[in-house]
Amino acid sequence: MKIAFRAGASALALSMAAGLATAQDITIEDADWWSEAGTKFDGVTLRGVTESTPPSNFVSDVLAPKFEELTGIRVDVETTSWDQMYDKAIKDMEAGTGIYDMVYIEQDIVYAYLARDFLVNITEALEEHPELKAPNYEEANFTSFADNFRGAEDGDLYGLPMEAFIKIYLYRKDLFEDPEIQAAFKEETGHDLKPATTHEEYSEIARFFTAYGEENDMDLWGTTAQAHTGHPASWYEYFESVAPTYGVYDWGINPDENYAASVENGGEMNSDAAKEALTWWLSMRDLAPPESVQSTWTEVATTFAAGRVAQGLVYGENAAWIAADDTKSRVVGNVGVALPPLEDGVMEAAESGEGYIGYYDGGAFGLPTTSKNQDAALLFLQFMALPEVQEEWAMASRITLTSTYDAPKVKELDEELGGYYSMLRDQGYLFKGAPEYPFHRQVLEATAPTFYSILTGDTGVDEGLDEMARIAEEELTTLGYRQ
Amino acid sequence: MHSNRLGWWLLAPTLLVLFLFGAVPFFYVVWLSFHQWNPFAVNPEIIYTGADNFRRLVFDSGFLASLGVTVAFVVFAVLTELIVGYLLATAFMKDFPGKAIFRTIHTLPLIMAPIIVGSIWKLMTTPSIGIIPHLLDEWIGYDLNIGQSALAAFTVTVIMDVWHWTPLVTLTLIAALVSLPADPFEQAQIDGAGKRQIFWHITLPMIAPAVVATVFIRLMDALRTVDEVLMLTGGGPGSATRYLGVHIFKEVFPKTNYGYGSAISVIVLYLTIVVCWLLYVGMLAPRTKK
Repeated sequence: MKIAFRAGASALALSMAAGLATAQDITIEDADWWSEAGTKFDGVTLRGVTESTPPSNFVSDVLAPKFEELTGIRVDVETTSWDQMYDKAIKDMEAGTGIYDMVYIEQDIVYAYLARDFLVNITEALEEHPELKAPNYEEANFTSFADNFRGAEDGDLYGLPMEAFIKIYLYRKDLFEDPEIQAAFKEETGHDLKPATTHEEYSEIARFFTAYGEENDMDLWGTTAQAHTGHPASWYEYFESVAPTYGVYDWGINPDENYAASVENGGEMNSDAAKEALTWWLSMRDLAPPESVQSTWTEVATTFAAGRVAQGLVYGENAAWIAADDTKSRVVGNVGVALPPLEDGVMEAAESGEGYIGYYDGGAFGLPTTSKNQDAALLFLQFMALPEVQEEWAMASRITLTSTYDAPKVKELDEELGGYYSMLRDQGYLFKGAPEYPFHRQVLEATAPTFYSILTGDTGVDEGLDEMARIAEEELTTLGYRQ
Repeated sequence: MHSNRLGWWLLAPTLLVLFLFGAVPFFYVVWLSFHQWNPFAVNPEIIYTGADNFRRLVFDSGFLASLGVTVAFVVFAVLTELIVGYLLATAFMKDFPGKAIFRTIHTLPLIMAPIIVGSIWKLMTTPSIGIIPHLLDEWIGYDLNIGQSALAAFTVTVIMDVWHWTPLVTLTLIAALVSLPADPFEQAQIDGAGKRQIFWHITLPMIAPAVVATVFIRLMDALRTVDEVLMLTGGGPGSATRYLGVHIFKEVFPKTNYGYGSAISVIVLYLTIVVCWLLYVGMLAPRTKK
């Protein structure tokens, strides 16, 4: 869903990479091997379903023809809306009709699919059929993001990542490095103007720039806020990007305590830290541009690119075009990248693996157990994960292979992006995807109305989070996860 | 006898298609509404729960709130469309310069997909970049923010619906007005009836079937509004525009709560039939009896 809604903003980014790349632009090593491997599947047509986003269009328009050219295996990729994609995929896998040989899996739904045994164990399948393993495909080459698609017990891969990015703290270098602004900030706060490392510092900068914009009659505010009052984007920003920076992880739900959400039962959804985090975030929302209450990830990126904010939390997939494409962005060359601001102890927890500091998002392609062409589909999945293919996608801020970091194009862009790729490589382990819950959307949708009510001010933070914890537990009881 | 059998054979393909794509899904939804089914529950099987889903509906504050705002939305939207549609229809009955162009332009919203309508209105109403907040601020100093104000969001969804669907009402009423005989109007004028009297006692009764049919169509459409509102407000701010269609969408698709979502759908269908029946009884049945 998130990716679907972000499609608009990332369209440009992908056009930089995917749109301009053609089947002819991609040179596949070991072409003879692919040709040989395809001979066994004469007349086979693979069918995939995915959401209609630029990366998926890249798969259907560029990779599928290239794969067919090499192997003779035809690939039909059905691109549709997010809800239709999941509806079709789930019903196909549920009913066992075997229509689809590949399904797109966003990071946050993979656990639901794994719980239902919908997906083929790709690691095991390639071990059992070594003749199908492509020479240039290495499972070990995947970044830590691939761990999101591994089985909890066997550690094997059930989906091959096609895109991955982190949600980062972007700031305007031109504003932060302006001597006059630095002096004004110092005079007002007594501190040097530099990217915030704590929430207090972040608030101080946000307050300063919002006031600065007003005083100087500029369209400038102190921070972004993905605070839509009727869209899950706001729920995600709070639970996946803000609450973790206060040490509230996995949405405040504790799987070890019978999936408790309330403090009373062992959860943290309505803990003091959670309430402090939400109060802080709402105070930032009030310093953000007026469109923030209607902003999803797409609008946050465009707000930043329009030069309307001094700093903000932005999905990394947008970093490339915000920083480098002057046809869409007014802040080209002026974008700095940093880690999100944190409370004391959160970084230590993340470094030790006990916590995390932000959101690591992305998606993969999986092979349904109901597919009738599993062997041929294994070939195409590996094809998409080849280093030479992934280099093209990296140009749009998406990296899933460690080898991609060494590509000359990526290194060049890394400098323009203020070191985003380096951060992804070196500090990506501090970020984490959605929690390993098979009930992701169910809990979100059950609690979201109350969350929106908090955003509109109809419900207080304390009262609202208490209510959300109660509703989450009620929903989990209905679904049978809480006994 | 022979021709009767042939008639049924000729009708068979149509009846089969209607049965497969109309009756089967309908009865499936009704059947599902008596079950609990969420593929992502611990037990993903379809479990018979009797009338539990319907019992739960009665106490579901989310559903009741959604029902409330939907009724308000339908009343304001359909009534406005009817009034504006009638005024435009009577205007189009007269000749004026540029009538053909204006009528064509006025019909354009009808051919737009609801999701596009939602996108356009989102673009026009987004604070800072939208033309509508900009003009309202410049002209009357009103700060329109549909992400913040429940009343503003509700009003904009009604206006959007009116903008999108009034042309349908206009076209239907033009067709009705054109087909009216001239005699009763001439006689009324000779008898000295005023414009208001002619409208209430001649025009309205004579076009009542067309009005009721139009109201039926718009009522049913308005009750199941999803795309436009989902795109414009997402059902917010809070639950201010979470109309029944949006509510059902969120229950069925993201929550995969198929059983409960089906129960809501059945109730909405029932309510639609009841409201349409009341309208029919109230406006047309007395005339039929006479």
